[in-house]
Amino acid sequence: MLKTGVVGAALLAVGGPLFLLSRSGRPARASRGSLRVLTPYEHEILASAAARLVPGDGAAGWPSAEALDVAGKLDALVARLHPRAIKEFRQVLHVFESALTGAVSIGSPQTFTRSSATDQDRRLQSWRHSRVAVFRSGYQAMKRLAHAVYYSSPEIYPRIGYPGPPAVPQVPA
Amino acid sequence: MSGGAPLAVPGRIRDAREEPNLAIECDFCVVGSGAGGSIAAAVLAETGANVMIVEEGQHHTRRDFNMQEAWAYENLYQDHGNRTTDDLSILILQGRTVGGGTTVNWTSSFRTPERTLALWASRHGVTGLDAATLAPHFEAVEKRLSIQDGNPDDVNANNRKLLEGGRKLGWEPALIRRSVKGCARLGACGLGCPLDAKQSALVTYVPDALAAGAQLFTNARAKLIETDRGRAKGVVCEVLDPGPDRSLGRRFVVYARRGVVLAGGAINTPALLLRSKIVKASDAVGRRTFLHPTVPIVSFYEEPIEGFYGPPQSVACHHFADRGERVGYFLETAPTHPMLAAVALPGFGSAHRELMTKLAHAQATIALLIDGHHDDEGGRVAAETDGRIRVRYPLTPALREAAIDAIKNMARLQLAAGARVVMTLHEDPITIRSEADLAQVDAAPFGPNRHTLFSAHQMGGAAMGEDPARSVVNSRGRHHQLENLWVTDGSLFPSSLGVNPQLSIYALARLFATEIARTR
Repeated sequence: MLKTGVVGAALLAVGGPLFLLSRSGRPARASRGSLRVLTPYEHEILASAAARLVPGDGAAGWPSAEALDVAGKLDALVARLHPRAIKEFRQVLHVFESALTGAVSIGSPQTFTRSSATDQDRRLQSWRHSRVAVFRSGYQAMKRLAHAVYYSSPEIYPRIGYPGPPAVPQVPA
Repeated sequence: MSGGAPLAVPGRIRDAREEPNLAIECDFCVVGSGAGGSIAAAVLAETGANVMIVEEGQHHTRRDFNMQEAWAYENLYQDHGNRTTDDLSILILQGRTVGGGTTVNWTSSFRTPERTLALWASRHGVTGLDAATLAPHFEAVEKRLSIQDGNPDDVNANNRKLLEGGRKLGWEPALIRRSVKGCARLGACGLGCPLDAKQSALVTYVPDALAAGAQLFTNARAKLIETDRGRAKGVVCEVLDPGPDRSLGRRFVVYARRGVVLAGGAINTPALLLRSKIVKASDAVGRRTFLHPTVPIVSFYEEPIEGFYGPPQSVACHHFADRGERVGYFLETAPTHPMLAAVALPGFGSAHRELMTKLAHAQATIALLIDGHHDDEGGRVAAETDGRIRVRYPLTPALREAAIDAIKNMARLQLAAGARVVMTLHEDPITIRSEADLAQVDAAPFGPNRHTLFSAHQMGGAAMGEDPARSVVNSRGRHHQLENLWVTDGSLFPSSLGVNPQLSIYALARLFATEIARTR
């Protein structure tokens, strides 16, 4: 796998080839509810990333990220962050999505949302292990948020052997 | 000022959103209702002073505590559970609710180690703060919080592995004293105790303060300290809408005739001082912020561990706390609730899911690195003009050495306790089945977002000491420039503690508040 290096980061920072930046992603699917801070396109990027982050391939019987509305819940969660943190998170989504990122990170000049599942996983792996610190941070932001929302859902508890919170002994009010 | 009779009504918790635009007069304004704020407020109010507490979090009680992580982190923690260092390398768990961190801590209670007090005296110019001086304050707090010797019945399987492995290796693990009364061992300390068995500030010193006439405003964020001719005059607060967590655009001022006590916690207290731009404020503000950077490993056992049930922490091992010229560390456990585990475990997709399916058999040991006891300067808090607080924390070579040593020794301990396999939480995890596998740890990358790191202990940033050039407050918490401004929270510490901090914060705050009460 190509690892995004300093050259790749610099390329992204200065804009890179415009034809790659201008490539469009997959049309956004409808969100379950109204979005608070993300645009439908940003929601689509996040939903596509979440679909690879959880639960992963070969997960027959597990709820999908879409079924648990992971991206929609993340929109609500991100909405409570500091406005500048929201802006930065949205920027991360756009950089992650761009065809240029695909070109420099895994050699595939395609947007994330239009990439195959295999290439989507390769792009996530590329950011996860990148020599560029901000890419590792961007991966961790998406990873932690998606995992937090998915695995804190009671629908998942039986799948991971967690019986759920214990019964609370009754105490006088 | 609004004029006329005082608007404040003693002894209630009030939501700032439901109050009209206010200007309030009191003797002391206390910022924060956690360990340091609640006990200071109680001590001051019990002397007859008119005390106002401002708390940016909400008032949640045991009836709200549903033991669901999704609710708890969003509602009881700073930044809704998303506080991190600037580069996202260290996830910072810090309470934000009435009771502060004590509402969500894991009840571990230690007195300040004497070697830490000695370090503060010898290297940081702290005077008159020794074990004998603090002893009556520790005793009083221990009595109020029902802190007793560790109970063997509190040791769940997660902690028992630390106990057994440590004993086999001769590392002298010990039971932890806990701040509980009538604990049902539900395992939900970090999510708010639904039984009020945990003796947090929420059910002890906050009620004490209220009973003595103090008032508490929730959803009130301290924005600025107003000053006038070398004195703190009051605290400007903004009213928060907790839903979107945004200011409602309304402010009120708490005018404090006798003084202001800052106890919003390490990170927030230095940020408030920085925002306030107090004249001649020491360059030390925000510097030397310590986190006890926490390195976890996970071990898998044939038998169920179920580390999500039972008291989260009941055993500690301080065998490696003093490593001479090298950074020391101590070992404890962390609960394995699904969300916390999912965030901590590396990878994604099917590989990550596979780990999660083994949750019930997973044991989680953590090493807390004792930062600030050597040449390391810790991190730095910055308050930006748009209200954002940033924490920068470099992962130095000395911390890397300690983390590697800690990972190896945690693995040795768990293998000694019978673990089938131990896994590091590097992004490329190392699987350890025997001593022969440990050499791989040396070569593994350690740096920002190369390995899972947490912090549940925030300290420093407004350090005490007698040298104004190197500290922010004196050895009794009084600000070096503003004679009626004090700090009584964990930001006081000139270094990290080397133990869980709640009891030290309570005791120091009690000592300082006793002396603050004598000022006029």
